[in-house]
Amino acid sequence: MQRRTLLASTTAALAAAPLARPHAQKPTTVRWWYHFDDPKASPDALVQAFEKANPDLKIQAESIPWGGGADYDTRLYTSIIAQNAPDAAMVKFNNLPRLMEMDALADLGKHIDGWAGKADISADLWRLHTAPDGKRYYIPLQYVVLYLYVRQDWLAQKGVKLPGTFDEFLTAGKAMTEGDRWGFGLRGGAGGHDHWCSFVLGGGAKMEKGGLVSPAALAANRWFIELYTKQKIIPPSAPNDGFQQIIANLKAGRTGMTIHHIGSANDMVAALGDGITAVPVPRGPQGQGWTSFGDGSNAVLAQSKVQEAAWRWVAWLSTAEANVAFNKLSGQVTVTTSGAKTWDVQPKRFMDATVGSLPIAAVLPQTAQTADFTRTVWPQTTQKALLGQISPDDMMGVFEKHYFG
Amino acid sequence: MKVSSRALPWLLLAPALAATVLLVLAPVAQTLWLSLHDVILFRPKSQPFVGFGNYVAVLNDPMFWESLGHSVVWVVVSVALQFGLGLATALLLNRRFAWRGVARALVIVPWALPSVIIGLVWTWMLDFNLGLLNQIGVRMGLLDAPVAWLARPDTAMAAVILAVVWQGFPFFAVTLLAGLQAIPREHYEAASIDGASTFASFVHVTLPGLAPVIATALLLRMIWVSNSLDLILVMTGGGPGTTTHTLPLYAFLKAWSGANYGYGSALAVVLTLLLLVVVIAYARRGMRDAPA
Amino acid sequence: MKRLRLFLGTEVPLLGILAFALGPWVWMMLSSIRPDEELTHSPVSLIPGALTLVHHIELLQRTSFASNLLDSLVVAVGAVTLGLLLSLPAAYAFSRFRFPGRRLLRVQFLVVNMFPVVLLVLPLFFLLRRLGLLDTYVALIAGHATFTLPFAIWLMTSYIDGIPPDLDEAAMIDGATGVQVLRLVILPLVVPGMVAVGIYLFIASWNEYLFALMLAGRNVRTVTVALQMFIGENEIHWGLLTAGGTLVALPAVVLFLFAQKHLVGGLTGGAVKG
Repeated sequence: MQRRTLLASTTAALAAAPLARPHAQKPTTVRWWYHFDDPKASPDALVQAFEKANPDLKIQAESIPWGGGADYDTRLYTSIIAQNAPDAAMVKFNNLPRLMEMDALADLGKHIDGWAGKADISADLWRLHTAPDGKRYYIPLQYVVLYLYVRQDWLAQKGVKLPGTFDEFLTAGKAMTEGDRWGFGLRGGAGGHDHWCSFVLGGGAKMEKGGLVSPAALAANRWFIELYTKQKIIPPSAPNDGFQQIIANLKAGRTGMTIHHIGSANDMVAALGDGITAVPVPRGPQGQGWTSFGDGSNAVLAQSKVQEAAWRWVAWLSTAEANVAFNKLSGQVTVTTSGAKTWDVQPKRFMDATVGSLPIAAVLPQTAQTADFTRTVWPQTTQKALLGQISPDDMMGVFEKHYFG
Repeated sequence: MKVSSRALPWLLLAPALAATVLLVLAPVAQTLWLSLHDVILFRPKSQPFVGFGNYVAVLNDPMFWESLGHSVVWVVVSVALQFGLGLATALLLNRRFAWRGVARALVIVPWALPSVIIGLVWTWMLDFNLGLLNQIGVRMGLLDAPVAWLARPDTAMAAVILAVVWQGFPFFAVTLLAGLQAIPREHYEAASIDGASTFASFVHVTLPGLAPVIATALLLRMIWVSNSLDLILVMTGGGPGTTTHTLPLYAFLKAWSGANYGYGSALAVVLTLLLLVVVIAYARRGMRDAPA
Repeated sequence: MKRLRLFLGTEVPLLGILAFALGPWVWMMLSSIRPDEELTHSPVSLIPGALTLVHHIELLQRTSFASNLLDSLVVAVGAVTLGLLLSLPAAYAFSRFRFPGRRLLRVQFLVVNMFPVVLLVLPLFFLLRRLGLLDTYVALIAGHATFTLPFAIWLMTSYIDGIPPDLDEAAMIDGATGVQVLRLVILPLVVPGMVAVGIYLFIASWNEYLFALMLAGRNVRTVTVALQMFIGENEIHWGLLTAGGTLVALPAVVLFLFAQKHLVGGLTGGAVKG
């Protein structure tokens, strides 16, 4: 305990410089779990750089298959229950309520407040990374914000402007739909709640009791479902389309718009050149909007016996240069203000759309219901509504019941 | 060393039994025990005993009954097709022709692939926009327009069954091919001396000779297909809507995504009991005629 | 005429079946040797416009796939060996001995296998952790061999059932013990069955994902887990995945190419006559 307070008060120094220790002491090993989209990316160079600066620590980095989120979560929960958890791990907001209930996380508040790198991360990000109980268990590591990809070359041909509102979005979608070409690639399979949120939560529904079945919410959802059933600006395969389909369809010139993030920008440009651009997702009738904040954080596990050491590693990963290097591996965006200034991994227009989306960026409520909602309830219910098996209003009723009983 | 013939079978069985008890039976017992509790994965400290509460809830759960229905279709149709195709393949591969060895080896390719690969490749081949099958179908005039096979409630189940048949028929081909080797050649010779046609010798010699292996292979495959969820998970996730939502998938989603491990365990136990009924019916018929 | 009948009656239908069996695999193989941009070109061209080995080179040089293949091979060979060692005596006991509880025991082996494995992973994880076996070859070999044991025992029993009992009775009369009968009479005759069960065990272990994910992963990482790494949160690496998927089928096929020579009939027939 004494040691912990001592260390906490000197964290800033610790993160920067190795502590003078009796030599020949065996380095402390920190087990850290991560997942990258690119299997060729390896954090070895980062680990070596850190270990060189911190000879008293050894990082054991383990890559865990993502498996749509299910595999990673299953392994994480199992290891926690079996008291075999890593010392630190990459985590998502949607894990937070469950991990909190398990008392699985170390409170990083004191560490963060004494950390030199704190000021280099924007207040917006810290606000998003504060748990519902006011504590801080997560340290920002990477992020993306969903925006709207648009084939600007198609729109130019049709003389239609880039969409900024729902109405303009529909106009653009209709203009681009012809033959075997569709206006919008909707992700109707698991994970597609991000698309739905932009149009329905952005269109007037609220994540609060009664907020999903209010007249405004029901109207927004009907409008959303009708994009498929009535306006037919969405390909028929949408109910089973995942991210690989919506991206492939856009790249192949089968759809004119879709909602995704900067992680796929370089691929898009390789396939479509200047024809493709991105704008923030359209705003609703009253000017409100909603887009999904795609988070990625590190957490230190409560059962770790080397929490200080684990904190030093995750804090280092969120400092300027290390964080930029990390995000080049992970394909996402740096959380540091200094790093963002020199960010040149993707063409500027995609970074602009990302930053321009921040004001409306949000996450689903951090409650225990959300994980099941995104994995099971949302896809099942929405697909039924798209296929006409239930009405759009019934669909909202199911969601209301799932969240608010 | 002479072992009494009473003890010998037990000695022969001991290693297999020990491994099963330790690695299968013990975890099954533990899961059974969990199914009597309200186990929410993220509330490790509060897991009250609820008796048969989870089971009552299962029986009153419309999603359970719907999943059961889908499971029956999934199992019956796909096992029948795998078996038919596998039997035909085994009979053909048992004949003598120049490239038999290569044909036998190549036919197991689908079986030798991990399910996740099979799921992704079939998803891609069936894709609406970029799928090979739609393109060939349209080009050959078999389809008027591309079909979103996995997104339509009337075709999604057929599509996942197609994938599991592709994956599973080599299993039947190999096991039945091995079974065919045990049929003494004299039986065929005797039949052909009696002037039996190819078909008659198939019915009177091949089928009876193959019967024990057929019965075992069918039973084993049925159990395997009943419990398999990975292809469906990759291809449709149970959708569109709940069109391909089967029982093991439901148990898996409840236990892990829904974190309701107690309820998921109860679903798994019910699935096991249902299978047990089928197996007992089989064992009563099939094991009686084993040589005593 | 006979040649034509063989051709029309056997080779043509088999070519059809092989086209079905190999079609998706060939399509995957063709995808793995195309440049990335062709993969999302609409309409899809059947013949690759350009050939490249870049995905295969990346797979073997920049990912750990080669060493994962080796891990899978160790686990699968271990599982086959252990599975055969456990199932052969058990199947012999079931086939040739009548003892109280025999039927119950036989069914018991099946029952435990009816339980969906996804619900057994948590208790197994605890067990292997207590035994200190997490993330070892032993854990995966024992896990794979045990969970395929019911299938192996049942299949093997039905193959031994197919061997005429007169043979071992004759040997018994000559004074052979039960174990000698198993070794000298049954073993040589059950080779086709062992090939079928062995290939079953190999493939089951080779393709197993859940245990490989949950009970191992760092020191021992099999190809199924490695392939899953190509499916990210926001990106599927089709080039790597199809290259890996093409390669991963080969060991079992090569293995069976050699093993299938033992699938020849008439052995028992001749033996009975003699």
